[in-house]
Amino acid sequence: MHAKLRSGWRIQRRVVGALMVRELVTRFGRENIGFLWIMVEPLLFAVLVGVLWRYMKGPEEHGVSVIAFVASGYLPLVLFRHSVVRSVRVFSVNGSLMYHRQIKVLDFVLVRFLIEMIGTAMAYLFIALLLMSINEFPVPADLGLLIGGFLVYAAFTFSLCLILAPLSEISDLAERFIPVTTYIMIPFSGTFNMVSWLTPEAQDAMYYSPFVHGMEMMREGIFGEGVDARWDLTVPIAATMVFTVIGLSLCRRVRRQLVVE
Amino acid sequence: MIICEKVAKSYPLGRSRKQVLRGLDLQISPGEKIGFLGRNGAGKTTLIKLIGGVEYPTSGRIRRGMSVSWPLGFGGGFQGSLTGYDNARFIARIYGHRYSAIRDFVEEFTELGAQLKMPVKTYSAGMRARLAFALSLAIEFDCYLIDEVIMVGDQNFQQKCHYELFEKRSDRSLILASHSPELVREYCDRALILDQGDGRVFTNLDEALNVYSAL
Repeated sequence: MHAKLRSGWRIQRRVVGALMVRELVTRFGRENIGFLWIMVEPLLFAVLVGVLWRYMKGPEEHGVSVIAFVASGYLPLVLFRHSVVRSVRVFSVNGSLMYHRQIKVLDFVLVRFLIEMIGTAMAYLFIALLLMSINEFPVPADLGLLIGGFLVYAAFTFSLCLILAPLSEISDLAERFIPVTTYIMIPFSGTFNMVSWLTPEAQDAMYYSPFVHGMEMMREGIFGEGVDARWDLTVPIAATMVFTVIGLSLCRRVRRQLVVE
Repeated sequence: MIICEKVAKSYPLGRSRKQVLRGLDLQISPGEKIGFLGRNGAGKTTLIKLIGGVEYPTSGRIRRGMSVSWPLGFGGGFQGSLTGYDNARFIARIYGHRYSAIRDFVEEFTELGAQLKMPVKTYSAGMRARLAFALSLAIEFDCYLIDEVIMVGDQNFQQKCHYELFEKRSDRSLILASHSPELVREYCDRALILDQGDGRVFTNLDEALNVYSAL
């Protein structure tokens, strides 16, 4: 049993590694900067939106640098949006790979998500260093909390992908609603504001948004005492667990009915 | 040993379902060579896909006691936008083989030369067949799943396949989906005739081919 588990784990790692390389090559090619493109888009987004806000709102808001605040909010949002969009119909576009039994549909979801997550993390690091060098980004007050918050946020995003990937195979509706939903959720994601800046009623409502807690953790990790962060792990962990269970069972059901060309 | 127990498969067809296989039982022992015969749409390719684990049966189960290749046909198994070499590298990785050994065998078996540096989507059917065969032979399976359509190669390729598959690897099992009685007679010990979702196994090939031609 133990040996079986170990060999399963080895195959799993091999498959995920091979799929990652394949995905990177097909998406970014081998020319010029190759897979480094993956961090260019979040980078441009965060910097340009940051600069825009800097001129609209002035250098500081609620005592923190506007550019740093926007960048730290936008990067996780980009992770969320890209992961969601890329999980649409991920089974059928990879249909030809299902000829190899050791590749499971979960691997497709995981690989695309991991690539987005690594890209975002790299972009985050790059932007932070860049902004630090021009004194627009503080040295993180608590790096562990920053990373922890990022992981909480990412885990919830992944659990959502686990549901969306199989749903998009069953019905086109899922795909149609994704753009508007990801847009509408921005105010509920904690991207552009701290919970403590809101009215008490709004604060109560925000407590139930799984994204907000990870975001507030990251903000506290960066700005420390400079912000009044409100977070706890109950809602994000519970939501992630429930979504994961639903997602896994959906994946299993959809795989059994999948027609592969 | 591959064991199919009451394997049924249906596909959605408008509001109803199209029943392709209705509760098929089949056993394939190590070293055995079996041909699947049937008219177009009788379920030969479907059954091969189910045995290969590409699709899942609607009900019933399939147990694989030996390593089974992926179905060698035109479609699956490759990424069209990647080159022949990239596909070889990918397959080496997921099956845990050394790439250099696989590459050498692929170069020698396919004789595709510089074409291996081109995306697979630019290959002709015959070239794809060469690549698919080369890769699955390099991995070494106990049982090969072959869709006849892939036997399209030229004389030289057919001879190579014959040597690698039926002489060097005569101890392996083989499942061949085919329309051609000659091919089945030449290579198989048994035949499964698929008709109306049911399958009948014949150990006497002459009898099988008579039934097949009467379909």
